[in-house]
Amino acid sequence: MAEHTQKGPLLQFAPMQSLVDEGFWHRLSSLKLNKLGIDDSPIPINGFYAPCSHSQISNHLTLLAESLPSESNESLLAPDTSRGNRNKCSVPGILYNTNTVESFHALDKQNLLKAEASKIWEDIQTGNAVEDPAILSRFLLISFADLKKWTFHYWFAFPALMLDPPVTVNYLKPASQWLSKEEVESLSAACNEWRNSRLTADVPFFFITIDANSCATIKHLKDWETCQSDAYKTLFGFYDPCHLPNNPGWPLRNFLTLLSAKWNLKRVQFLCYRENRGFADMDLSLVGEALITDSQGEGDGVPNVVGWELNKGRKIPRRISLSQSLDPTRLAISAA
Amino acid sequence: MVLSQKLHEAFKGTVERITGPRTVSAFKEKGVLSVTEFVEAGDNLVAKCPTWSWESGEPNKRKPYLPPEKQFLVTRNVPCLRRAASVEEEYEAAGGEVLLDNEDNDGWLATHGKPKGKPDEDEDLPSMESLEISKKDSVKPISSNMGGEEEDDIPDMEEFEEADNIIMTDPSTYLVAQEPDDDNILRTRTYDVSITYDKYYQTPRVWLTGYDESRMLLQPELVLEDVSQDHARKTVTIEDHPHLPGKHASIHPCKHGAVMKKIIDVLMSRGVEPEVDKYLFLFLKFMASVIPTIEYDYTMDFDLGSSSH
Repeated sequence: MAEHTQKGPLLQFAPMQSLVDEGFWHRLSSLKLNKLGIDDSPIPINGFYAPCSHSQISNHLTLLAESLPSESNESLLAPDTSRGNRNKCSVPGILYNTNTVESFHALDKQNLLKAEASKIWEDIQTGNAVEDPAILSRFLLISFADLKKWTFHYWFAFPALMLDPPVTVNYLKPASQWLSKEEVESLSAACNEWRNSRLTADVPFFFITIDANSCATIKHLKDWETCQSDAYKTLFGFYDPCHLPNNPGWPLRNFLTLLSAKWNLKRVQFLCYRENRGFADMDLSLVGEALITDSQGEGDGVPNVVGWELNKGRKIPRRISLSQSLDPTRLAISAA
Repeated sequence: MVLSQKLHEAFKGTVERITGPRTVSAFKEKGVLSVTEFVEAGDNLVAKCPTWSWESGEPNKRKPYLPPEKQFLVTRNVPCLRRAASVEEEYEAAGGEVLLDNEDNDGWLATHGKPKGKPDEDEDLPSMESLEISKKDSVKPISSNMGGEEEDDIPDMEEFEEADNIIMTDPSTYLVAQEPDDDNILRTRTYDVSITYDKYYQTPRVWLTGYDESRMLLQPELVLEDVSQDHARKTVTIEDHPHLPGKHASIHPCKHGAVMKKIIDVLMSRGVEPEVDKYLFLFLKFMASVIPTIEYDYTMDFDLGSSSH
């Protein structure tokens, strides 16, 4: 690792956390039994997240029944999601569900993660990620569904492209301290409007310009190249699922990589957008300045990647048993 | 499920199939809602409290009398920072009058059918604000998911930690210090709270899905620790969710109409004319007496007379 020439501490990101609704396993079981059989090809899925909405708990990447394609679909197309739900911003993912516990173990985790990382990297290079920034948060899930015992073993990865040397932070503070009072008002109003419009409610990455009259405007990333003008202040914003006061959430990582790799930005002011009870909260939201000294240069290969989720601090998969709600024998007994 | 409950469910199901949904408003007279009023009140809740959204649920469980995209309301990831049960025990320890009946210690699981011959003192709940978070932990640490009872003979994957270097050491990852296995720390659970329309009782109905601090599904029985103990034994049942897979804890709606009627009467006696689109705010305020530590959102500028009744 190169020496840190920049002053300032490393920027440390709080890992994304997963949460799986029971309905997801129900639908996976029935897909497996009624349609997939022993076909273990990867399945496109959707996860959902939203900005943090409470000062004491983070939001999660959530899987629901509708994260999976429905059984009636002819092919396993990515499940269609109704866009525009502010509490369910859709993130694409991929599921590798194995047929045996041995093959679950045998999966080459490092390579699967690299494969997802290179999709993200490619989307950054081609500009797809500027058009549809949700794909920056692409995720990976491996699982083994033991349908004899109704037990599910699973492990999430949230690939983060590593910048080398790591990003350092100049400052990180509540947005309400960084902005003037008028700017707080204007930015809060702009954020609430963005979150209330069906067209933008689930667009988790954006940028903000604030003019000399404290008037904040939120814009799509794809407008960056035409709009980077004479703004008095510019902020790159993202929906931050994390609630911690001193750490931005995971989605910022690939966002910074995009800003550095695509637009060659080295000094980035960012907004970790957070809410309280569904409304913009500039005390919980953070503003920081990241310094990027990426030495990789253009044309290099895909950056290194991290992102396997820890289970209570350990490198082990998670497991859930749903025999009480799924096992037909038990259901028959309890219904008798 | 006890037999009486099952019989009742069967009866209720039949009645629901053969009767049409309520179309005439009886909001002020009976405290109940028609289907259109439910949708109207739900729209207003979603507009004022954006953490709530409409959902369509499982396609094969859709109710024809509700719009397909407005089958039920849900708010996810609602914090529950402490157990209602322990709050009440603390209250009791502090010398308050709390109705805890511990003679046979089966209180956690007895969901209904045995009212224990206690008087109905539904309003006798401790006020949350006046309580301190205490030192002593009266609720046992929660075992996570439903892994429990039958030991799995699969070679326990959780035994061997990944040896290879699949998780690179990355200085940019913030790792939260691991939670000590200390019973004194507050265990933050989260809840998905949903509101469905109960056609039989013609009222909204609340369903709870709980997750422990490591985001693993809570057994519905453990959810009872987050229900006011007075209600946990009487009014919370574990049933199939009308729009989602699986069994969920639900606050049984048999008394909802009557209680809502009382609330509406009180408002009217104070000269406040209740509007039907505010129904869910009143309803959720009433629900907060049943699930006092689950911090779902129902706030709005609405004068209930005095908020501390």
